[in-house]
Amino acid sequence: MKNPLNKRFLRELRGDLGKYLVIFLLLVSAIGFVSGFLVADHSLLTAYNEGFEKYNIEDGNFTVSSKLNNYEQASIEKNGVILYNNYYIENQLDNGSTLRIFSKREDINKVCLMQGKMPKRKGEIAIDRMYAENNGLKISDTINSSSHTWKITGLVALSDYSCLFQDNNDSMFDALQFGVAIVTKEDFASLGKKDITYCYSWKYLHPPVDENEESVMAENLMKAMNKEVTLSDFIPLYQNQAIQFTGEDMGGDRAMITILLYIIMLIMAFVFGITISHTIQKESTVIGTLLASGYTTKELIRHYMAMPMFVTVIAAFIGNIIGYTFMKDVCANMYYGSYSLPTYQTLWNPQAFLLTTMIPVLLMFFINAITLRRKLSLSPLKFLRKDLNRKKQKKTLHLSHQIPFMTRFRARIIFQNISNYIVLLIGILFANLLLIFGMSLPAVLHHYQETISDNMLCNYQYILQVPISMMSMDDDTELEDVSYADLLHASFLEYSLTTTNPDAEKFSAYSLNTTSNPYRTDEILLYGISKHSKYIDLNLSDQDVYISSAYAEKYKLNKGDTIRLKEPYEDTFYQFKITGVYRYEGGLSIFMSQKALNQKLDFEEDSFSGYFSDSEITDIPSKYIGSTITLDDLTKISRQLDKSMGNMMYIVDGFAMMIFVVLIYLLSKIIIEKNSQSISMAKILGYHTLEISSLYIMSTSILVVLFLLFSLPLETICMEWIFRFYLYIGMSGWITFTVPLIVFVKMFALGVGTYAVVALLEFWKIKKVPMDEALKNAE
Amino acid sequence: MFLEIHNIKKSFGSGDCLVEVLKGIDLQIKKGEFCVLLGPSGSGKSTLLNIIGGIDRSDSGDIIIDGEKMADMNDKRLTIYRRKHLGYIFQMYNLIPNLTVRENIEVGAYLSSHSLDIDELLHTLGLFEHRNKLPNQLSGGQQQRTAIGRAIVKNPDILLCDEPTGALDYNTSKEILNLIETINQRYGNTVIMVTHNDAIRHMADRIVRLRDGRIRDNIQNQHKRSASTLEW
Repeated sequence: MKNPLNKRFLRELRGDLGKYLVIFLLLVSAIGFVSGFLVADHSLLTAYNEGFEKYNIEDGNFTVSSKLNNYEQASIEKNGVILYNNYYIENQLDNGSTLRIFSKREDINKVCLMQGKMPKRKGEIAIDRMYAENNGLKISDTINSSSHTWKITGLVALSDYSCLFQDNNDSMFDALQFGVAIVTKEDFASLGKKDITYCYSWKYLHPPVDENEESVMAENLMKAMNKEVTLSDFIPLYQNQAIQFTGEDMGGDRAMITILLYIIMLIMAFVFGITISHTIQKESTVIGTLLASGYTTKELIRHYMAMPMFVTVIAAFIGNIIGYTFMKDVCANMYYGSYSLPTYQTLWNPQAFLLTTMIPVLLMFFINAITLRRKLSLSPLKFLRKDLNRKKQKKTLHLSHQIPFMTRFRARIIFQNISNYIVLLIGILFANLLLIFGMSLPAVLHHYQETISDNMLCNYQYILQVPISMMSMDDDTELEDVSYADLLHASFLEYSLTTTNPDAEKFSAYSLNTTSNPYRTDEILLYGISKHSKYIDLNLSDQDVYISSAYAEKYKLNKGDTIRLKEPYEDTFYQFKITGVYRYEGGLSIFMSQKALNQKLDFEEDSFSGYFSDSEITDIPSKYIGSTITLDDLTKISRQLDKSMGNMMYIVDGFAMMIFVVLIYLLSKIIIEKNSQSISMAKILGYHTLEISSLYIMSTSILVVLFLLFSLPLETICMEWIFRFYLYIGMSGWITFTVPLIVFVKMFALGVGTYAVVALLEFWKIKKVPMDEALKNAE
Repeated sequence: MFLEIHNIKKSFGSGDCLVEVLKGIDLQIKKGEFCVLLGPSGSGKSTLLNIIGGIDRSDSGDIIIDGEKMADMNDKRLTIYRRKHLGYIFQMYNLIPNLTVRENIEVGAYLSSHSLDIDELLHTLGLFEHRNKLPNQLSGGQQQRTAIGRAIVKNPDILLCDEPTGALDYNTSKEILNLIETINQRYGNTVIMVTHNDAIRHMADRIVRLRDGRIRDNIQNQHKRSASTLEW
């Protein structure tokens, strides 16, 4: 004979649809969203990593002012590299953007055709897919520069431009104003030699094993090249942002989603725990009777676990299908919206399966099994008497008779349900944590954009660069090794680096890396400030070392602390004792006197690295300017951050709201259901609906409101900690975490609104219960 | 003797709050006997029934059923004992709300390898036409008859009834008593019934009166009457 209890399953599912639907939705959305993201991230990252081999991505590139002759090329190649032409021409289009045009590539940095066809004849062009999307361009459209017109035949991804950085010194990419394209060789030849940028890519014959070796090899190669040619640009692979940025950003997103997943898991464990406890309580007398009749504990554990496990497994199955189909595409499109990635193949991700499916299923299994095992160890008699508390209530709380009866009644209800309310409080804390996670991130980013604008050191910050051709003139360089052209450059250098702009103020700058973060290295920019600086409001003595507030906040540093920094790729360490914190949130920086910095780093006493200025400097040739940081550049960072992270945040936001609603629904439902018998009895005794609601529903409502309010500051602290942790392990730089009031208002309104709907639904249900039935169920 | 109870003692609470509910109960019940445990509230009758039913443990004393000592049984063995030998009827019916009448009875049948024919039993219980109804579609009497069906279907050696008519009106109570009597006669189960209702003693083979945790009377009823003739 089959166990007749099995016949309950479907009916239980129908009868408690709300509860099971909540668990189902929670699991499907969590598994679908997180596995979708992890699968997309893993598949795209694999495609990106495999792209290095598949598309034969360069080991670096350099630019010279004129085409290399055979001798120069052969001399450079003697250093263990093979060179490839990667010439380009930049054209200003009539839509205001710049298009960097390459000729068809066959050997290196190969092109992935995403849509349409590659150009076959003159006047045809294949443009970067993302640039096309950002500028509303489609296949068959025509693009025009002042001298040319092209018809778009295809949309492509260039393997060396997964991130559209126009200049490697740019602090952020701009896929709206800058794009890359491919034309036929014939077409490229006709574009005019005078505009060609002679860029060459190289591949090592014996590739380096790690980044340290790569940096040494690149440095040696650069020195060797400088002896042959005048370099105007030299970018080894590990420094090439157009190639490297994408991979790094994908890693950061994964850290954020993993944190979200841990929060979801906590919520799941909590939901599973309370639902099974609620089921046991509700079924107490049935369990007692079955145990008294001779059903074994194992049989009952199996019975009560069957339905939640069934729902969990089905949800896991559907969640994975959604994850691998719809959500994967949503998340992949998010990346395609930011980066020019090649096509990818969906890959099975065992880590995603473990995190999103196995762990929740096992969590459900063990939480149910342990709770049931613990609860069912009670005697059948305790179940029959609905006496499931292991501890007996020893004292009855004395309430003065001076207190009005209804208030006492309400107080008794609250005290009687105290354990349920604690569960509700914990649930609200979890739900709000998720909500603040989703809602605060866009707000934080917005705040960051505003702060950066208000908090700039100056309107223009120029970091000068010594032309690469001069860089081989280090201490070891013998005079006879220096070419005549180099010497000429050197003699003009001082003159060229001087400006007549009265706003300009010299500063020294140098980058060092942090050593105290085990997860991630941050680049710290050391500023050497001139005395009586107009731009930095500090009167620095030679002993003073001020750090920016962003640096202090990220690393929790204070006046008197000692920091240890190191040269990138070298084992040279520097130590600084902090003498103060300077309010600057734009970057992780150190401010010292120019003299002190130059001394510390063994620079010439009067050497400097750049200018602060409130007005544009126009009299320094652009080749001496390594990078310029203007308000525009800084807002470009936030614009792009918003673009690359924004989509993700809005998905997290929507997801968080859904989980929040589901969780509040479940908890409120359980509490109100637990009181439904008493509510019906009060009805039988002759209490009016309004009185009943003021007793039962209002008590819960007041507490829900109080819990929602109480949770807000607590969540802020929690979220700040999570955010700090995320930035610490996942991102360079620092963004201050502040939650605007409107986020709290939204969270509160959503909580109250959700609860109100549940309360109304439940009360409407209770109102409909006939009184005789309430009596019949009074057992 | 089928059921032997020797010097059973049971107390609840501790220290100053210690309440001795059973103060040494000795009782012997024959196989197939209909035994009624009478007594006021707090006299210990339900506690004694629960100890016989193996859902509560005594502090001391022995219960021997068909030669087997209950004190020697661990929890697992006790469950098997309940499964094989006992049927329970409570004042509250404790039916499974989302199973039909027939399915609720099947819940009992599942526990036995020699269960009674369910359809025949449904006729005996007068529930055949209600067999596909859910508990909330039944009257109190019908629900209690279903609970009896669930207890009796596995054909237990002992049927333990804890105030089975406590929540029922006069006519329905008589119906239920008639049913228990019929079952006792037809299937030969030993019936132990706890009740407040003094009139029920007339239908019993043995009348045991408890007061203050002790047996005051233990009488073999020589003038047994049918349940249908009882008046109260």
